[in-house]
Amino acid sequence: MTPATLNDYVLISAVLFAIGFFGVLLRRNTLVIFMSLELMLVASTLALVAFSRFNGTMDGNVFVFFILTVAAAEVAVGLAIIVALFRKRHTVQVDELNTLKN
Amino acid sequence: MNYLELLRALLPETALVVGALLALTFDLSFGVRQSRETRLHAAVIIGTLAVVAAMFGALSAGVADAVFGGVLVLDELTLASRLGVLMLAWLTLTLTGGTARLRHPAEFVAIVLFATAGFTLMAAAQQLLVAFLALELASLSLYILAGFDKSRPESAEAALKYFLFGGMSAAFLLFGFSLIYGLTGSIELPQIAHQLARQGQSPLLSLALVMVLVAFGFKAAAAPFHLWAPDVYEGAPVVSSALIASASKLAGFTLFVRLLWPGFGPAAGSVATAAGSPGWLPLVACLSAASLLLGNFAALAQSNVRRLLAYSAIAHAGVMLLGVIVAGDAGLGPLFYYVFTYGLATIGAFAVIAVVERAGCCQKITDLAGLHRRSPLLAGCFAVYLLSLAGIPPLAGFFGKFTVFAAALNLGGLAGPAGWLALLAIALSAVALYYYLVMLKQALVVAPADPASAPVPVPADAAIVLVFTALLLVLLGLFPSVVLRIF
Amino acid sequence: MNAHPYAFLALFGAVAVAFPLILLAVARLWFRFFQPPKPSLDKGAVYECGIAPSGDSWIQFKAHYYLYAILFLIFDVEVLFLLPFAVAFTTLPGGALVAMLVFLLLLAEGLVWAWHRGHLEWK
Repeated sequence: MTPATLNDYVLISAVLFAIGFFGVLLRRNTLVIFMSLELMLVASTLALVAFSRFNGTMDGNVFVFFILTVAAAEVAVGLAIIVALFRKRHTVQVDELNTLKN
Repeated sequence: MNYLELLRALLPETALVVGALLALTFDLSFGVRQSRETRLHAAVIIGTLAVVAAMFGALSAGVADAVFGGVLVLDELTLASRLGVLMLAWLTLTLTGGTARLRHPAEFVAIVLFATAGFTLMAAAQQLLVAFLALELASLSLYILAGFDKSRPESAEAALKYFLFGGMSAAFLLFGFSLIYGLTGSIELPQIAHQLARQGQSPLLSLALVMVLVAFGFKAAAAPFHLWAPDVYEGAPVVSSALIASASKLAGFTLFVRLLWPGFGPAAGSVATAAGSPGWLPLVACLSAASLLLGNFAALAQSNVRRLLAYSAIAHAGVMLLGVIVAGDAGLGPLFYYVFTYGLATIGAFAVIAVVERAGCCQKITDLAGLHRRSPLLAGCFAVYLLSLAGIPPLAGFFGKFTVFAAALNLGGLAGPAGWLALLAIALSAVALYYYLVMLKQALVVAPADPASAPVPVPADAAIVLVFTALLLVLLGLFPSVVLRIF
Repeated sequence: MNAHPYAFLALFGAVAVAFPLILLAVARLWFRFFQPPKPSLDKGAVYECGIAPSGDSWIQFKAHYYLYAILFLIFDVEVLFLLPFAVAFTTLPGGALVAMLVFLLLLAEGLVWAWHRGHLEWK
């Protein structure tokens, strides 16, 4: 079995990114959309680590540390917004959020 | 690696963060027994002091080439953009003191200051990691500000939509960055430019550029990535909308113009001639054309004041993108002047909405009817803002449009997309004038719906914001070289 | 290969669109042919690690759990930065130590804020 090449990693990260993107577009439950967003971030993380390994520089790895932190902060803010919304509207389905329409 | 040098370059951010912490601490210790009004004013005073300190910090940091191993850059654009963002943040804070009714005033002010720190950092970032972190600091703070009013479900809904679109754009930006890093082996803009100039076009590079431009489109509210803008402008608290529409835009354009020209400049391509050459410039031109068309025509159909402002913001984003296109040739002067004066006029318009909303309701355009009787000051300032947005001389909006269009026509005359875009934008300015005049007619001509409707009281803080922005728009229109000379 | 520079982009777009669509289609076909729906009481029951379930699975948790989780997350992620800092500690200048202390102080301020606002009280 041949070891994984850079192309494999980039391909996998692109596929992960696409799955996350379609999850955001197709799912109706806010929490699942949220997970799909995280999947998109993780896809970039994988690409960064792979590039870092094959470029031989540490920049990509350092980038990943900060992405994890940003993702955690994003979860905190996003869940807070969802909790606030749920208290007012008693739903987490995006297609039921239509107060703001012209 | 000199930490003192880093601290000096980051004086504005330090001042803002310390101000935010002080506002929170003061509220936790002394504010417990005070009324909500007093707590709000205390927080706003601390916040204003922090913003003023940050302005002095930005001035004393001065102009240096690269700081801390090239992580930050302090050039004329950084200085101008930082000062502009801080001024817009100061206006927002003053407006908050005058009009907002908040359950957690200190937290609101603190988050405004955090967002401002993100904006000033965005203005100085010269490395992909710092650029991403600054953008996220600003964005996360803005999501919270959009959903700050927990008593209204619209606010939470606006925050959720803003968050979902913003999160997606962040993911796109990050994937684009990771591909750029993979291609060039560096996350510092000068090295990236150097590598890109050596490598030339490649499919992976096109993909990375498209991803970065998608994120740019979201941030700038350019069509077809504009979907969040009308909902957020309408649902968020007025003060948050003002910050999102003004300072966030200025910081976003500063960040992306720095990414695109000094960073990805070798992959720019060309739009000067009809055939052009591939790169990111043709894509930006497409975004610009779509925003101009969609923004102006959709604005015609709006009956809600804030939604109308949102669609006009999309149309203005089209002109700003044209400013990005010409920045390579004509320099950053036209773009910066346009975005800054647009921010001033928008914050003024939102200030008028905030004051009217405080006295009653300001949803439909017809709610503005008879404003000249109810408050002449509001109506007069509103006229200045809208005419500036429409681009009527001698106001600043006219000169902004003029410099951008002149630079675009200089790029290659009418032989290429840049010239065509300028013509399209000039033609659509007539459409824009129509919907601005519809609003102005309600405010200046139509009699109040209810003849006995009470006059609108204008708080002193809000009056400062109104008069200051209106005066600045007139003065900058008369003496544009004050801003343009910086570059 | 001298295709148009954007050709790869089109190909990538096509693959990225096709991949999830194919997966969705396969899942749909699998459902159609191998998994006819036969709901029964046992199948629809709540899984509770093998013992007989008690009550509904749709119970509401207190929002307080969420606040604790967030506070935990903050200090969880903090370790992410402390560990590389500790590994490289002997080679770092004094400024790095100050920077790290500022970072910890900012985090502590967040905890103090939550404490003072009463978010740590279990109501």
